[in-house]
Amino acid sequence: MKTKLKGILAVTAIALSGSGAAIAQESVKIGVVTPISGTYAPIGQQVRWGLELATKQVNEAGGIAGRQIELIFEDSEANPSVAVQRAERLFEVEDVDFLTGTVNSGATLAVGQLAERVGKLMATTVSFADSITAGQCSPNVFRVNARAGQQSAALAAWVVEQKPNAKVFYLGPDYEMGRSTVAAFKEKMTEFGAEDVGELFAPLDSQDYTQYFGQIRAAQPDVLYTSVAGNDTVRFLTQMQEFGLLGDMLVVGASGTITSQNITAIGDAANGFGTGVGYSTRIDTPENNEFVEQFRAAYDADPDLYGTDSYGVIHFYKAAAEKAGSLEPDAVREAMRDLTWMTPQGEKLMRGGDHQAQQPMYVVQINGGSFDIVGKVDGETALGADLCERF
Amino acid sequence: MDSVLFYIQFVLAPQMVTGLALGVAVVLVALGLTIIFGLLDVINMAHGEFYAVGAYLAVALGLAGINFWVLLLLIPLIMAPIGYAVERGLIQRVFNTGEDRHVTTLLLTFGLAMVIEEFILIVFGVETMRPASPIPGAVEIFGLFLPNYRLFLIGFGLLVVAGVAVAVYRTRFGSMVRAAAFDRNMAASLGVPVSRVYALTFALGVALAGLAGVLLAPIYSVFPTMGRDFIFIAFTVVIAGGMGSIAGAVVAGLLLTQVQAVSSLFISPVWSQPIVFGIMVLVLVLRPQGLFGRLGHA
Repeated sequence: MKTKLKGILAVTAIALSGSGAAIAQESVKIGVVTPISGTYAPIGQQVRWGLELATKQVNEAGGIAGRQIELIFEDSEANPSVAVQRAERLFEVEDVDFLTGTVNSGATLAVGQLAERVGKLMATTVSFADSITAGQCSPNVFRVNARAGQQSAALAAWVVEQKPNAKVFYLGPDYEMGRSTVAAFKEKMTEFGAEDVGELFAPLDSQDYTQYFGQIRAAQPDVLYTSVAGNDTVRFLTQMQEFGLLGDMLVVGASGTITSQNITAIGDAANGFGTGVGYSTRIDTPENNEFVEQFRAAYDADPDLYGTDSYGVIHFYKAAAEKAGSLEPDAVREAMRDLTWMTPQGEKLMRGGDHQAQQPMYVVQINGGSFDIVGKVDGETALGADLCERF
Repeated sequence: MDSVLFYIQFVLAPQMVTGLALGVAVVLVALGLTIIFGLLDVINMAHGEFYAVGAYLAVALGLAGINFWVLLLLIPLIMAPIGYAVERGLIQRVFNTGEDRHVTTLLLTFGLAMVIEEFILIVFGVETMRPASPIPGAVEIFGLFLPNYRLFLIGFGLLVVAGVAVAVYRTRFGSMVRAAAFDRNMAASLGVPVSRVYALTFALGVALAGLAGVLLAPIYSVFPTMGRDFIFIAFTVVIAGGMGSIAGAVVAGLLLTQVQAVSSLFISPVWSQPIVFGIMVLVLVLRPQGLFGRLGHA
């Protein structure tokens, strides 16, 4: 297997070092392993739209160093083991030059290990888990989107500004994501001097959150942080409103807590909810306005942060490959490190030490059904220290 | 001393009242289930989906401009014929499989549940919907903050339970139901139209599920998998209370949700489910027939 692979690499290297005309014939293959079916299909849809829009535009402008980009899609079914099988096929059979599209953090970590084994590069545009570019970082994995820590750092900085020395209550869904988001946000808030007045973890799909209101009422918090999602958010917030608990409490949460999928059902109870995000269609820059317009024209839908970061990853790869002057993974990796490139969010920097993109972060607050940008935190403050020790 | 009073008034009492509202919701869902189980001996796995259909009908007709109070009457009237047709068209066909009846009807209704859920998904999409609360606002009683709609739910729910109890224990139809539940063949030979009584009872159960759907939609919101929500706790209530027992469903429903509500003040709410199901296991071991006996056997 290994020798065969080395053979392929050698052939690729020879092809790359050959004449420019020969290179121009062959396309740049980018594999996309993303959920096309299942719960995460709406996210996979945005990923696909973002990638396809960027690819179309890059190809029309001459491609990567004169070579056209070809996207090859595989359905990960949002399942890490399926994602690995599909990625293996893309690496071994299709011989893709680069891989992207993984959504859930488990899939990104698993496919990342595979990429390291076969000596290819990949980037996620969606996964939030901090560990991907911290404790479990890999020399072959890059992340162009903001990780959970960047979102909570931005949000915490804003909350402290609104309510200094606040009493904060935390409520998360009872599984890995819920516990890690609450822990991360609590750590930031404690750093800023907020008082922790209690935490709760509710089972997924709890029907009635009123049974938790006793504890919340007893704690009398000024700020409530939550990372529940989907229908759970609908019930939690509308029941809080029903019981008059929202009052003048500031409710903040994870970026996936309120989305276009559940915002209508939440109604008024969503007003005032704040969250930290890496992207909003409301970022008022010429680059973003142009991007939003093109995206809407192409798909009759708004881009979300997944679509935008997936759009950005094509430009990331193009910039790196052109800087490296080759598609050879080692050369491209070197070029990716400390690379700055343009995205709809503005200029991003790929930090060389942990392969995590640094970008300005925004705080958005819901006002009558739409997200308004109410705060901005600069990239370096939001990103924090490099915790990757593997390379 | 003051802090104890504060705790009772502002923490414990609201918790128990909200637990009561949840309890009534659970009883409403369990009621139809227990009647169908007690009489037909059918474990209706599609009960939650009938509840969902009721809620979706309420949303759709509500958007069409029909008043909520009209829907409260209209939805059960729409759901009952559906239930009747399902019993006649599907359940009746596999009912006489003798020893295997529990398995065949369970599989049939389970399949039906999946079909209904997918159907809802295709017709209404994945998005969560929520009808506005028909009685917004809240009242304060002794410093207790109580949403009006929950108070209405408690009152109306108890009325529905009483109505069903009267229908089963005080009417001619009710005595036929109980007779058929006690001994099917004897009832038939005495002139009770057993298969029609079965279909009507199933229709009543489905109508109750639909009614619960309308009533609970403003509180718990409406989405395709909502049918699975109450079904486990409802089954627990039916088993703990005594299969087919109306009094059992009420007592077990209110008791279990109070346990949930009060226990979640002291320990992580995550434990409230294991506690509730633990109680169910205990009841099954110590008193397999449930707290109250079966319908028609008491």
